[in-house]
Amino acid sequence: MTFVVTENCIKCKYMDCVEVCPVDCFYEGENMLVIHPDECIDCGVCEPECPAEAIFADTEPGLDSWLKLNAQYAETWPNIAVKRDPPEDATAFDGAPNKFEEYFSPAPGQGDAPEEPKATPPTSPPSNP
Amino acid sequence: MTSRPGLDCTHAPDRAAPTEDGIRLLVDRFYAKVRDDAALGPVFARAIAEDGWPAHLATMCDFWSSLMLTSGRYHGNPVAVHKRLDGVTPALFERWLALFAETCGELFDEELAAVFLDKARRVATSLQLALFYRPEHDRPRAAP
Repeated sequence: MTFVVTENCIKCKYMDCVEVCPVDCFYEGENMLVIHPDECIDCGVCEPECPAEAIFADTEPGLDSWLKLNAQYAETWPNIAVKRDPPEDATAFDGAPNKFEEYFSPAPGQGDAPEEPKATPPTSPPSNP
Repeated sequence: MTSRPGLDCTHAPDRAAPTEDGIRLLVDRFYAKVRDDAALGPVFARAIAEDGWPAHLATMCDFWSSLMLTSGRYHGNPVAVHKRLDGVTPALFERWLALFAETCGELFDEELAAVFLDKARRVATSLQLALFYRPEHDRPRAAP
């Protein structure tokens, strides 16, 4: 059992959910978040926190495509557990129609922190001249 | 029965609303029952050393505070933790839930106890799916 992020997150990405999630199961795309279905413990804490009302239990009807999208992108997008400022135009897109067709981006978001440099970087020369 | 060992009546919880005090009482009393339980006790004893219990109880208070009060204090991966345990069965989850329901019933009014139990059941179902679910068992049987 899991919760699922749906269409109205796109271009809103308020990120209130990530701070309350006890198991850090949100992953960040360029303009929306998804929940990893194998990490979510179905506690439901995130659902009422979403200002865009974009989070639903997977027991709601008609969420199959969103469940697949959440599962797919949770594998590749970076984890996010710390809220940042939402997009400046988030409010303008809250409730806008056809957000998936017009705005969904498969590109990853920045996640919590920039990649930390490896402690001991390889000393071999760069592969590209 | 009027005697309730472990319950400090000078700090009785609010029976109608979740509070940090109520959560601490719930966690302390529930895990005292768990450790005494013939089925659950040995599983927890294998997983948590005697001197690890104060830290575990504090973690469980953070967990329930995060679930009931959206405090955001707990951050962990309970699925991974439970996958590492030996000897966990669906029957043990049922026993866990029964003891949890019993403890909630002792400390909270019916409505609040139901909210705690609803959360616990949802989490227990998710953990069991993660531990025991095998997609191949979903396939319809081949026609004879």
